[in-house]
Amino acid sequence: MSDWLGMSARPQAPRPELRARVLGRALERQRVRGVRWRGGAGLAVAAVMVLIAGAVWGYRALTTLRGERDRLWAEVQAARDSLSYVVGTTSRVIQIPVSTNGRVGAITIFADRTKHRWLVRCEGLAPNEPDQSYQLWFITDKGMRSAAVMPMNTDTPMVLALDMPGDSSRVLGAAMSIEARQGASAPTGPMVFHLTL
Amino acid sequence: MALLRRLKSREERALAELYDQLAPWVLGLALRILQDEGEAEDVLSDVFVQVWDHIDQHDAKRGALVPWVLSIARNRALDALRRRRRWWRKAERWERARSAETGDHIPAPDPAEASVPGWPVHQAIHAALAALPEEQRRVVGLAYFEGLTHSEIARRTGQPLGTVKTRLRIAQGKLEESLRQVRDWMA
Repeated sequence: MSDWLGMSARPQAPRPELRARVLGRALERQRVRGVRWRGGAGLAVAAVMVLIAGAVWGYRALTTLRGERDRLWAEVQAARDSLSYVVGTTSRVIQIPVSTNGRVGAITIFADRTKHRWLVRCEGLAPNEPDQSYQLWFITDKGMRSAAVMPMNTDTPMVLALDMPGDSSRVLGAAMSIEARQGASAPTGPMVFHLTL
Repeated sequence: MALLRRLKSREERALAELYDQLAPWVLGLALRILQDEGEAEDVLSDVFVQVWDHIDQHDAKRGALVPWVLSIARNRALDALRRRRRWWRKAERWERARSAETGDHIPAPDPAEASVPGWPVHQAIHAALAALPEEQRRVVGLAYFEGLTHSEIARRTGQPLGTVKTRLRIAQGKLEESLRQVRDWMA
C-alpha cells in the first residue's frame, strides 16, 4: 500500500494548546531518559563495584576458610594418628620414668609395630640449658641412630612421632641423652635413659 | 539544513517545525481511523514522541520523512483501534462517517484546509483514490484505515479471498503509478 495514503485523510488542525503539550512531552521524555540513563549508568557502576568488592571479600573469606579447613584437617589427622597408637592392637606402650636436673618426669613410647613408627611423649623434663638439647636415639643392631633432637626451653610436655630407621636395621631399644643444641651424630652427653625393648 | 538532518542532530526547533507541518495530517489520519478526537490527539502526541525518540532509525534511502511519520501514525492509530472493545461499534460509526464524508470524491477545499502545508499532495492522493473503481477503493480503505487482513476484508465485504487479494494488488499498482510524481515536500 502506498506510503502516502495517510494523506488522503482530511487534515485536522490540532487545538492550539496541543502543540506545547505534544512538543513538551516529546522533549521532556528525552530529558528524563537522559537523566534515567545517567542514573542507570551510576547504578550500574555502583552495582559492578559492589560485585567486585563482594567477589574480593568472597575470595578472601574462601581462602581463609580453606586455610582453616586444611589446618583443622591436619589437626584431625594428627589426632587420629596419635589415637591409633593408643587404640591400635599392634601398639606397645612403654613408660620410662626419668629424672632430669632433680625433676622427676616420664617418657611414654607408643610403638606401632605395623606402621614402624613411634609416638613419644615427654613430660616433666627439666628445660635445657641454652646450649643444650635432649636427643632421642634408636638402639639398633647396627648401632645408635639419632631419632630426634628436642631442645626444650620450657617444661611443657612434648609429643613427637618418629619413623623407624630406614636402613633395615632392627630397633632393639631407645635412649635419650643431653647433647649440644644442634644435636650430635653419636651420644656423647649425659644419658637420661637407656632402654632395651 | 534539511529538516531531517536537523531532527537527527536533535535540534528542538526542527521538531516544532515538523509538528507545524505534519500535525494536521497526523491528526487527520488518526481521526479518520479512530473517529474519536480524544484518542486521535493521544495518537498525535505518541507519534511525535516516537518520531523524536527514533528519528535516528529513519533511513532516507528507504523512504521520505512524511510517509515514515504517517506510517507511525497509522500503526499507532490501528493499535488503538484494535485495543478497543467497542471495535465493531466504532467500525459501524466509521462506515456512517465515511458515507457522510463522501470521501470518494475530491473534497471541496475548506479555505483553512487548503492553507495546510502539503495540501497539493493530499489532492493528488485523493485524485489517485478517486480514479480507482469503487470495489478497489473500498478494499484499500478497509486495509489501510482499519488495518484489516485480507481474510477479514473478505468476510466484511462478502467477497472471496482471492478476489480481495486481486483487487488490492491491482489498486496498489494503480496507486503507485499515480503517486509516482508525489515527492516529500520536506525533503
